[in-house]
Amino acid sequence: MTGTVSPAVAQVTAIEASLFVFVVLTALATAFARDVLAAVIVFGAYSLGMAALYTFYRAPDVAMTEAAISAGVTTVLLLLTLAKTTRIDHEAVFESVNYPAAGAAGLLFAGLAITMVDVPAVGSPDAPVWSNPDVTQWYLAETYAETGVENTVMAVLAAFRGFDTFGEAVVVFAAGIAALIVLRREVFA
Amino acid sequence: MSDAPDVDAGGRGDESGGRDDAGGKRDADDGGRDDDRSGSADPPRRSGRLDSETRQGTPYTESQVIMSTVKVVSPFAFTYGLFVTFHGGGSPGGGFQGGAIMAAVVFMIAFAFGIEATRQWLANTVVVALAVGGTLAFAAIGLLPVALGGAFLQYDLLPLPILDPVKYGMEAVEIIGIAAIVSGVLMGLFFVLARGFNGEDSGPSIGERDPFSDGESPEDGDGVATDGGER
Repeated sequence: MTGTVSPAVAQVTAIEASLFVFVVLTALATAFARDVLAAVIVFGAYSLGMAALYTFYRAPDVAMTEAAISAGVTTVLLLLTLAKTTRIDHEAVFESVNYPAAGAAGLLFAGLAITMVDVPAVGSPDAPVWSNPDVTQWYLAETYAETGVENTVMAVLAAFRGFDTFGEAVVVFAAGIAALIVLRREVFA
Repeated sequence: MSDAPDVDAGGRGDESGGRDDAGGKRDADDGGRDDDRSGSADPPRRSGRLDSETRQGTPYTESQVIMSTVKVVSPFAFTYGLFVTFHGGGSPGGGFQGGAIMAAVVFMIAFAFGIEATRQWLANTVVVALAVGGTLAFAAIGLLPVALGGAFLQYDLLPLPILDPVKYGMEAVEIIGIAAIVSGVLMGLFFVLARGFNGEDSGPSIGERDPFSDGESPEDGDGVATDGGER
């Protein structure tokens, strides 16, 4: 299986590699920043890097959601929450490393890294998730005839799995109600 | 500036200089700090600065750069949100992404021109109508085929005379359902988080004072004065 990995590694472009480095660095900075405000800002940068990475791997729907929700809205809501709470000024920039936690995270990372050799190469036409004739290929072939829209992602969300999407929409609505209840208000004001 | 007697309070005055809208808040803050202003007995908690260690109010800095940038960018961003919503069938995107982008435009406007001003411009009724109306519209589109003897969200039973009912039923769910819910709830979360916990910060604003309030917010005077400074 290593034969399928090394061409993929060889194909990583400079943009991809720099995006990966950026995402890993911002994730580490988010985890280790001692100051909450710095962590929130760096986390927004991390989300923007992830959005660029999703775009690069041709998942524009996910990238848009990541950029709008995670980089934009979540950062703004976290900043507002910070402004409403007490923030302690720290002298140290970074958190000191908790070695047992770092060891546990390292073990988890090693366990996940072992499975990476069996993951198909990026863009491989033989990847099961792509070449599956009953699911992915069926949706790609039949979506336009069945629904009349070109965007398969939207067709799956709104038509083929419309009931699930209704549940998700109600969950979003319930989140707004829950925020009102938790903050003990009766209007969004 | 109105805080001339407080300039000696640890040099905090010039850190927040240039923010004439926060004069009242800073006075209250410093008064609680040096304990020589018994008149303003308010505890030191509304300094208005994001990087202060005291309890803070809603931060707002009137900046020409931010206001001009938002004035230029927001029409394009809002149009992009509309495009993503309405063109979700033929290009990446859809109601969720478009609704989030349109709500983010409102966040931008609020950060540039003040959250209180945006809240009054975009009344609670609009936010609630978007969230509730979107949920009801989605449910109605889903349940109408059930009433006509089909399954939930069976689009081909929708009574659309000329248009393709499947395609335009999906578009309707995305546009008047999901986009409305997402933009309404996100704006509501933004406004309600900006206001904070009831009874600790300040009550609802004067125009929208609800009749069910049981007097849990005793600092209405403080809240109104502070909001007035943000406009």
